[in-house]
Amino acid sequence: MMKRYKNLLLFSGILSPLIVGSSLLCRVDLMALVRGIPRATELIIRMFPPAWGTFPDLVRPALETVQIAFVGTAIGAFVSFLIGLMAAHNIHSRRLLRQTTRTLLSAERALPDLIVVLFFVAIVGLGPFPGVMALALGSIGMLGKLFADSIEEVDPKPLESMAAIGATKVQMIRYALLPQVIPALIAHTLYRFEVNIRMSVFLGVVGAGGIGYNLVTALRLLKYQEAMAVIITILILVTLCEKLSEISRKAIIGNELLK
Amino acid sequence: MAMNHPIETKIYKRWFESYLFPSSLFMLALIGSMIQLNMSPKLFWEGIPHFFSLVSEMIPPNWEVFSKGKILWSILETLAMAFLGTLIGCTGALLCGLLGANNLTPSKLIGETVKRALAAERSVPPLIYVLLLIVVIGLGPFAGMIVIALGTTGMLGKLFAEAIENVDPKPLESLESTGATKLQIIRYALLPQVIPSFIANTLYRFDINLRFALFLGVVGGGGIGVDLQMAMSLFRYADALAITMVTLAVIWSAERISDYFRKRVIGQEVLQ
Repeated sequence: MMKRYKNLLLFSGILSPLIVGSSLLCRVDLMALVRGIPRATELIIRMFPPAWGTFPDLVRPALETVQIAFVGTAIGAFVSFLIGLMAAHNIHSRRLLRQTTRTLLSAERALPDLIVVLFFVAIVGLGPFPGVMALALGSIGMLGKLFADSIEEVDPKPLESMAAIGATKVQMIRYALLPQVIPALIAHTLYRFEVNIRMSVFLGVVGAGGIGYNLVTALRLLKYQEAMAVIITILILVTLCEKLSEISRKAIIGNELLK
Repeated sequence: MAMNHPIETKIYKRWFESYLFPSSLFMLALIGSMIQLNMSPKLFWEGIPHFFSLVSEMIPPNWEVFSKGKILWSILETLAMAFLGTLIGCTGALLCGLLGANNLTPSKLIGETVKRALAAERSVPPLIYVLLLIVVIGLGPFAGMIVIALGTTGMLGKLFAEAIENVDPKPLESLESTGATKLQIIRYALLPQVIPSFIANTLYRFDINLRFALFLGVVGGGGIGVDLQMAMSLFRYADALAITMVTLAVIWSAERISDYFRKRVIGQEVLQ
């Protein structure tokens, strides 16, 4: 009983100064919320009706957002597969290579995306290219690990029997490994695509292409009706991409020929 | 000849429909997108010398940036945003989880509404929230913190509700049969089962939020992100490296602490 309260006291003793400190740092201001209510209503009133006329101009950046996410995920997934093979213990027996790959992967995951994006923008300049590279690199950290784990979880028997009949490494991967891991790899990749779509919307803000930029500009220029049109476009885009990824997930996982 | 055999035709047709057609469609979309995004290999090759000149300009990092103290303050601000946002978000998520879980919800209607609201929250990209909140309550870390809290509630609320739905119902039933109140049932039969996964998920989300807090700075949500972006866009690369290194050190130590707590709290019997 005593121990219980001691722990509780210790816990709240650590937590409460942290809460107070961060509230001060965040400049938490409940009055700002109250004052925000009339502003929010005004904002909503000003946003309607959405400027439907701007939709034709939004198609190109919207498409660009999807393309950045798509290409970034595709490149990321391809590289992740190779890295997954390098990091899995049942594919090869070079311990050093495996550990180096795993360490690099976790280092990449620890790196915040914003830093990656800003560095790529500094290296290759503004535009969609740094966005694609940043998304690809960001995907590799997570997908590489998930792919490696999926590869390590396969049933070893098909691999062993292929090795016994003298198949090459490529043949083993194609006929014994891939059929077992494809559904998992696709599922992970599609999940990452959904993450990347959201990231891609954000990338426009740092100048890496896409529709995010349109939203920021519209709001900065106080063109609220245009901003509403952009918001609607973004919502449609995100929903469509999620539906698309769901459809392809079902189509590919149900596909027997890949097995 | 072989093509005309009915069985072979069928095999070819299946092969085409479920393998060749989708994969060529995929490749076509990929190559088309790369062309439209102007992704030429040339950009890549040109980037390599740029990369080296960037590195040479960054080193040595310019530690002078911290002399003003403002930068260090901004890093702490980022940390505070992530911490408070996660805390408020997970409190909201716990409420939503209790209200939304099928086995605990006061009424089917409320449960369904909560779940729908959480799903709607998750489907809206956070950029939209940040920009609108900045208009409503002004620039600064408060707006950023609220966005983090919202995103946290959206994700954790769903996970918590699922965790609550998957608990073993027997302890709940036996407490109910002894006439315990709803609050007592939650405290003594439900929480012990779900707390470990709650805390693990919350700390995991804290790691995500720390990174996201950096992004928020860029759009005016407070924190170090904006200083970092300014340094980069003004070509003050040595400053940028110094800021990056300290930010990474702070983020990584925060993660070590969160790891430590994850292990400690989960191992604790008091909460169970």
